[in-house]
Amino acid sequence: MLFRDTVTIALRAVSANRSRALLTMLGIIIAVGAVILMASIGKSMEGVILDQVSVLGPRTIAIWPGNKGPEGGSGTMNPEYDKLTISDVDALRKLSSITGVSPIIFVTGKVSYGRETSDTTAIGSTPDYYGSQNIEMQEGRFHDEEDENGIRAVAVLGADTATDLFGNSNPLGERIEIGDQKYTVVGVLKPAGSAFFQNLDERIVVPFSVAEVTMQRSYVDMTVAQATSNDVEYAADDIRYLLRKRHRIILPDNGSTDNDDFLVRTAAQAQEILGAVSLGLTLFITMIAGISLLVGGIGIMNIMLVAVTERTREIGLRKALGARRSDILRQFLVESILLTFLGGLFGLLIGIGINLLIVGVAQKFLAAYAFKLNTFAIILSVVSAAGTGLAFGIYPARKAASLNPIEALRYE
Amino acid sequence: MSNHDNKSAEAPGIAGGKSPSAPLIETINLYKSYFNEDLETPVLFDINLKIESGEFVAIMGPSGSGKSTLMHILGFLDVTTKGHYHFKGESTEEKVQDDLARIRAENISFVFQSFNLLPRTTVYDNVLLPLLYGTTPVHERRKRTLKAIESVGLADRTMFFSNQLSGGQQQRVAIARALVTEPEVIFADEPTGNLDSASGKHVMEILQNLNKEGHTIILVTHERTTAEHANRIIHIQDGRILTDEKGHTKRIASQVKQLK
Repeated sequence: MLFRDTVTIALRAVSANRSRALLTMLGIIIAVGAVILMASIGKSMEGVILDQVSVLGPRTIAIWPGNKGPEGGSGTMNPEYDKLTISDVDALRKLSSITGVSPIIFVTGKVSYGRETSDTTAIGSTPDYYGSQNIEMQEGRFHDEEDENGIRAVAVLGADTATDLFGNSNPLGERIEIGDQKYTVVGVLKPAGSAFFQNLDERIVVPFSVAEVTMQRSYVDMTVAQATSNDVEYAADDIRYLLRKRHRIILPDNGSTDNDDFLVRTAAQAQEILGAVSLGLTLFITMIAGISLLVGGIGIMNIMLVAVTERTREIGLRKALGARRSDILRQFLVESILLTFLGGLFGLLIGIGINLLIVGVAQKFLAAYAFKLNTFAIILSVVSAAGTGLAFGIYPARKAASLNPIEALRYE
Repeated sequence: MSNHDNKSAEAPGIAGGKSPSAPLIETINLYKSYFNEDLETPVLFDINLKIESGEFVAIMGPSGSGKSTLMHILGFLDVTTKGHYHFKGESTEEKVQDDLARIRAENISFVFQSFNLLPRTTVYDNVLLPLLYGTTPVHERRKRTLKAIESVGLADRTMFFSNQLSGGQQQRVAIARALVTEPEVIFADEPTGNLDSASGKHVMEILQNLNKEGHTIILVTHERTTAEHANRIIHIQDGRILTDEKGHTKRIASQVKQLK
């Protein structure tokens, strides 16, 4: 029998029972749709992560108080929140392996201008902060050493924050309030997108010295620095050595960092962590997809068994007319593969469709979030869908092929 | 080819290992039993039968007589338990499933009591069906299908769905389907059993005409009036051939009735 004829018969059988075929395919549609969607989101997020790492620069090193860093909880949730002191920061500045040391203090308090408010968090940092993140000015100026030394209450606004508070009017020279303290706006930053899932355009930067006073701090929430050479890990070790010495921490022989009361992380490590998260996500999706395909496959097998029983007479007739075992086997196999393959295609279309919707929404929050298709996932999921049809179609097809034509023709 | 030459040398007139003098169908001491676990149920006993090409044979007998089983064996849907079945002079015992399927596709065809047409399928596609399993070239399929439909007088119903036709018309489609492969023998299993008498008569006339055109037809029936259309009646009872007579079938059929 020609393969073309087999496919024609299978197509007719599927289209004769369209709603049943669609319901049968549902499991496969959902499985493939979910995989395509999640894999595409993963790919888009990868793009976002790469974008963020490039915003920070590959030589960036971040230092947090507490053994677990930002994952250990923020503020007083972290029992070691006050372990990175301002004198630690002064000591770090003396290291030759790093430069541009910018300590950061989060300045809490409601941000307002007249009746307009913004839920932006302000940070206090030194002028080095701007250099460390390639921040560019849209209008006005950055705050400088004179502002630091004079403890001048000035503020530099992110682009979105400026729009929030001032709309279209010029913010320069206006006075905003953060908590009980008034600040004069001296500059507005160029739109910069986002980094580490934070919108960089929603921020306010004030002089570190001012934050130190208003927040009454002798410790910082974090510190960012740049390695002076490409050996970023060497610089990170330099920092660790210094801080352990200053905090009188003895590194155990097994090299465990459990005793540390701080965490040093390089941009490369941050990328690795995000990579591990995305790998975990991929494995999770694969598992879900595997389970859905299994469940979908069982559904296909069930329906194919029903089809074999329903078409017992037809099978008997075909055999009486000269169909060989292999002709019948192939006819039912092609039918189940066709079901799962079509299910895979529908799932693909639905997955892409939902992804497009998500991209539309996500781009409002993450400028770098772009529509991406994971070609590997597409090919793999459609092929595994068809493979599911093959695997779960074998049993019903063999059952059909082994029917005795005389008994099959008598079947009522 | 050397095999062929040898045989030609032995017996002049033998071509391709088949003797032109050999009957189309020949059974020698054919037995058939069904086995259910260890229980043997004998169905056919010592059937010796010769059917020549071009005959119109009716196998008659009450239900349970073994006539359907005999037809299934002769039609390659079932195999013998003991004895021999030669088709066109060739032994069939050694043939495997796929060989039997090939013979069903190429050499024989069936007309069933319950038509067995594919539902929601056009007359055209129903008649085309056997050609999908044979060796007919794709470009000849259409011509042969239309010719077969025309020969049973249903050319104007070609694109109708099978379930849109009357019973008599459906059986004529089944006959067209049996003709399309140009088989050497057509088996008709109670072809009029599901039809009213007028449609049944029409179907039998078609079969008779096909026989006049040279087709070999083997009819299985329990109805005397249907068997009368054949020119040879083999009466089977309890798995044995009771009578096998040619000629005036009306008389034979009535004699058979008396024997009962």
